[in-house]
Amino acid sequence: MGLPAELTGRLLLLPALVLIGLFVIFPVAWGVYISFTDMTLVGPKAVKYGFVMFKNYLRLLADPDFWNSLRVSFLFTVFSALIGQASLGLALALVLRMEGIKGKTAVALVVFIAWIIPEVVAGFTWGSFAMKWGYLNAMLDPIYRLLGMKYINWLYEKPLETIIIANIWRGTAFSMILFTAALESIPKFLYEAAEVDGASSWQKFRYITFPLLSYAILIDFILITIWTFMVFTMIYVMTGGGPGTATELWTIFVYKRAFTPPYTLGYAAAAANIMFMIVLALIVTYLVMIRRIRW
Amino acid sequence: MSMVYMPRAFTRLLPVYIFMAVVFVFFAAPLAWLIITAFDPEASAEFHVPKGVTTKWFSELIKPVGGKYAKVYPWMWIVNSLIISTAVATLVTALSVLSAFSLTRYSFRGQSAVLNLFIILRLMPPMVIAVPIVVLFAKLALVNTYHGLILVMSALILPFTLLIADGYFRTIPSVYEEAAMVDGCSRLKAFLKITLPLATPGIVTIWLLAFVTAWGEFLMPLVLIGDPYLYPASIGIYYWFGMYGRIEYGRICAFSIVYSIPSIVVFLITRKYLQRGIAGLVTR
Repeated sequence: MGLPAELTGRLLLLPALVLIGLFVIFPVAWGVYISFTDMTLVGPKAVKYGFVMFKNYLRLLADPDFWNSLRVSFLFTVFSALIGQASLGLALALVLRMEGIKGKTAVALVVFIAWIIPEVVAGFTWGSFAMKWGYLNAMLDPIYRLLGMKYINWLYEKPLETIIIANIWRGTAFSMILFTAALESIPKFLYEAAEVDGASSWQKFRYITFPLLSYAILIDFILITIWTFMVFTMIYVMTGGGPGTATELWTIFVYKRAFTPPYTLGYAAAAANIMFMIVLALIVTYLVMIRRIRW
Repeated sequence: MSMVYMPRAFTRLLPVYIFMAVVFVFFAAPLAWLIITAFDPEASAEFHVPKGVTTKWFSELIKPVGGKYAKVYPWMWIVNSLIISTAVATLVTALSVLSAFSLTRYSFRGQSAVLNLFIILRLMPPMVIAVPIVVLFAKLALVNTYHGLILVMSALILPFTLLIADGYFRTIPSVYEEAAMVDGCSRLKAFLKITLPLATPGIVTIWLLAFVTAWGEFLMPLVLIGDPYLYPASIGIYYWFGMYGRIEYGRICAFSIVYSIPSIVVFLITRKYLQRGIAGLVTR
């Protein structure tokens, strides 16, 4: 009795697809439509908007603030994720694997907690921690004295560096866990064999660990690039994109254009769509890669 | 200097311990500020040695936020977060289990396309839909409502939990179900009666992960909820911190800690599970 199995299977998937369709896929399409209009959030153009075709996109390409947000997002991603999180995560994974080291659990735990507390709390904490008379400078005080320097007002004088460091703090745990898993999958006998042959620790790393880890490194790079590229909350809470536009990531650029005066929704949607294209290219790279290597 | 006796192993490991100490201080210091300030009678962001320990900031969380939120209470924001996150987690878990059942126990064309779609949506920046969702919700009168917020948050979290559920149900063999089917059970009944009870730990984990993901969510409530009585905790902290005048560091830190506890507890419980999930990305 009942429905053919294939139909039942499809029906069971329907509720999830309807939810996603209505609240994610349809909005994405609607966002493309909005990007071709001069719609605003408030005022007469909220209702009586007109079609401007590609004008929003053309204006974006001539907007120095848009290019600035691209530059900030790019530097933020390269330095905090690809350089900071990946290398620190790998170093931590290697240390966690060493035998006879005390205190490993405590280190892993704080790194993990920085990653899992709500993002707003992370932003609020870093915004306060990095203030001129805050804890960060108090801790760096011996170094300032040694170099005869005045306190750096991190959030104002070095804003981009500060959000990069804060995001290394926030996100290193993912790379650490991923590399720990990847290291565990390397068979121990390879190292034993290398030791018999008289290999040094560096040689073992260079000729066993690193080559066998390259796939994990690639996966890690792509995922943390995508995730870091879409960071909004922590930095928005910390700096609001300022001072000026010094820490205005593309997400903050979109948010400000849409939800602060002059509320240009069409313009913000166009910017969001351009960035989505970039992220989509990264996601497709990821999909192709996991396919390639698994089969 | 060179006369100091040190065991060989220790001198060899010294760089490792220095590295660990630096990393520990770097990661622990901001958290230390948060915790110390929550218990500091003269709480502020400026560095000073606290003159004692107090729990007054925690007990004062029952008082109104103050300023322009004279009648809003911090604990209301926690209750709001509880309501929203519970609803999201329950909806998302139910849909994830149904979908995972379909994807792992039936075979039909388009399954891998569906999985790819969910991987793409899992990695999509939520900012992409912020503008259209606000326009759409304004038209449908869903702005400032929980049902609207819950639906869009669920749609954003579903790809994440669905992929976990799919991976999980693939590890549960279908032979028991098939045995029951030989005895005359339908596939659905066999699944409900046999596999689902076996899968309880996994389902609880999925619910917990969905709960804390919703618990920490910021962007969607930020653009959709404008009424301070309806704020979830994340938005409450943001506006509290950004309020004009003197920042109430003591209570905000105390509130941040209370708000962070569920996330920390859930992640510590599900830590092994998460690690396995991440390991699945690189091994096989």
